[in-house]
Amino acid sequence: MIWLNQIINGVLLGGYYALIACGLSLMFGVMNIINLAHGDLAVLGAFLVWLICEHTGISPFIAFIAVLPTMAALGWVLQRAILDRSLRSGILVPILSTFGLAIVIENLLFSQFGADSRSLASVMGSLSYDSWALTSQIYIGKLAVLIFAVAVLLLLGLHVFLKRTALGRAIRATSEDPDTAELVGINARAVYATSAAIAVSTVAIAGLFLGMRASFAPYAGPAQLIFAFEAVVIGGSGSLWGTLVGGIVLGIAQNIGAQINPNWFLLAGHLTFLAVLIGRIFLRELLAHGMIPALLGQRS
Amino acid sequence: MPKNDVTKAPRGSRGGLSRRDFVKKAGIGASGLALSGSFPALAQAAPADTLRVGFVSPLTGPLGGFGQGDPYILSIARKKLAHGIVIHGKRYAVKIISKDTESDPTRASQLAKELINRDKVDLMLSTSTPEVVNPVADACEAAGMPSLSTTVPWESFYFGRGAKPGKPSPFKWSYLFSFGVEQFAQAYISMWNGPVKTNKRVGFLLPNDADGNAIREHMVPLIEKAGFTTIDAGPYEDGTTDYSAQIAKFKAEKCEIFNTFPIPPDFAVFWRQAAQQGYTRMVKIAQIAKTGLFPSQVEVLGSLGYNLATGAYWTPTFPYKSSLTGLTSPKLTANYEKATGHQWNQQVGMSLALLDGGFAALKQSSNPKSKAAVAKALSTLKDTTIIGPIDFTKGPVPNCYPTPIIGSQWVKAKPGSKYKLDLVVTDNADDRHVPVAAKLKPYNA
Repeated sequence: MIWLNQIINGVLLGGYYALIACGLSLMFGVMNIINLAHGDLAVLGAFLVWLICEHTGISPFIAFIAVLPTMAALGWVLQRAILDRSLRSGILVPILSTFGLAIVIENLLFSQFGADSRSLASVMGSLSYDSWALTSQIYIGKLAVLIFAVAVLLLLGLHVFLKRTALGRAIRATSEDPDTAELVGINARAVYATSAAIAVSTVAIAGLFLGMRASFAPYAGPAQLIFAFEAVVIGGSGSLWGTLVGGIVLGIAQNIGAQINPNWFLLAGHLTFLAVLIGRIFLRELLAHGMIPALLGQRS
Repeated sequence: MPKNDVTKAPRGSRGGLSRRDFVKKAGIGASGLALSGSFPALAQAAPADTLRVGFVSPLTGPLGGFGQGDPYILSIARKKLAHGIVIHGKRYAVKIISKDTESDPTRASQLAKELINRDKVDLMLSTSTPEVVNPVADACEAAGMPSLSTTVPWESFYFGRGAKPGKPSPFKWSYLFSFGVEQFAQAYISMWNGPVKTNKRVGFLLPNDADGNAIREHMVPLIEKAGFTTIDAGPYEDGTTDYSAQIAKFKAEKCEIFNTFPIPPDFAVFWRQAAQQGYTRMVKIAQIAKTGLFPSQVEVLGSLGYNLATGAYWTPTFPYKSSLTGLTSPKLTANYEKATGHQWNQQVGMSLALLDGGFAALKQSSNPKSKAAVAKALSTLKDTTIIGPIDFTKGPVPNCYPTPIIGSQWVKAKPGSKYKLDLVVTDNADDRHVPVAAKLKPYNA
């Protein structure tokens, strides 16, 4: 029973990871940018929601309606003003510029809000800790289920958007090859800016739930980044459904690890991540060169 | 991002958004913060009758909460010392040079070296967590600089820097007054034997970090010896995002007392999940440390934060006066809240006590400009600070004097209060002079 509880909690935790990882996956998939400011953008989103709630006393969900377009606009500006320029200078510069951006966001938040930790939980009644008790050992948190459902809906929505709409097709085409896409009349810069806007909007959703589930402070961003990153890699970079699978695999691995030994929570997650990474490289070698060279690590 | 890279931004972000904030900070006297160190030439030319004191603490970065009150405390100290200080009939001008470690131990060490070599300080003060104090104290040992510190468990300061139990102290220059693991144990045992009746089964959630392991090794056995059954959920890594395994264990073992030393963001996640999984409803005493030092860390829990018990190293009801400024604890609290708009926190008193102790040592030394004389004065320092008496001739180990941990509880603030929570003293086993304000309430009261 305890194991079942661990697995259920692991799956739900995976939903949260998928939610934070979604924007990261999108930016990497479309623009090939590894956004190191991802966690900090989530914290920024959480702060914006908190700011509105604190001043008006309204529900964080309603406050979020105002924050979403702000964050989307921010994503758009970010792409136009910073990332576009850095993309022209090779692969390292975009990473460095998001690194710089992360530092700027952290310190702006610190100078505005100070070091205090905040949470949205205090303005949403008991939702942050309500649960359904299935048996005396299995409890399912209502917020965790909500987060999982939002993650699935968001990924489903993005999937349909990318597959079925003209803009979605343009994004996919640009991600394959921006130059060729431009030849057939797609404005790659506009597509990039739109993708960034969408990605940062999803980060805002992640920030909303970060604020409800945990607490946040100006320097809390980087801690969010690592799990998002692992979920993306486990699920296969650039694949949206893969991100959900990756998040769930990570969540289950961590919770089962913790049940065996409390110290193995992070370790089990990291090992799973490493195993998938090595497995994937090995598999690629295997497919390309056959069994023996792959085992020996030789390239023919 | 790595903390050491976070650093430039407060300067870079001064324009626009944070200008107001900057002006405000400068206005309350923290201007020395930004400007100190910019006049090396002046520093070298300092006259022999100026006493220079370094003050190292974390103002920004993840430990920034500790430093929240430091600019204010420094401003009142500077005001008090504006006309200098008279020692053995001679008047010295005083310059306090404050530095922000930005929560980075490497930077703390660098700053200490800078203060020693470039600013030529006569005494080094440092506070708030081993990440600040230990590197500063090490730099002072290496350079022969008298150093006084606080707000680090004394075991981490003494044993954590290489001293061995039973052996003579390897330290000649660095001194610390602060609570330690023993003081926690004493306060907890008294509190858990108090008015709230429990089954005496204690669940421990202790991370696999320096503090968590020190508690596991040194405090848990003391609790066990005092007649409690201890259940350790096992070491976990900081940053863990799901605690269902630990919670299941505490529930199965029926732990009616809960104790933890987590980093603050982890506790918010743990405690909500504990509520979700039905554990908080069976807890009679929830005793937290390391988190819950500052009101904001408890406020984030909403109604789950009410009645959490904790140990305080200073509260506004301490009956002592600051030897440097003459302020009483209630007066300091009122002035602080008025000047900064923030609710008081424990470090406000402790930072002032550090200045109390530091200047007392300078006064008690035969020659405040002689490093050896100041270090000698530190080794026998006796003073009553705002957090109570310190006396380095009476510590459990050389170089350290233990200060009390006072059992207290976060309760919902009375209607009409400006703040959401109050910290009330419920036990005073470590220092009987601190008045008990209320009986400990069960967590679910």
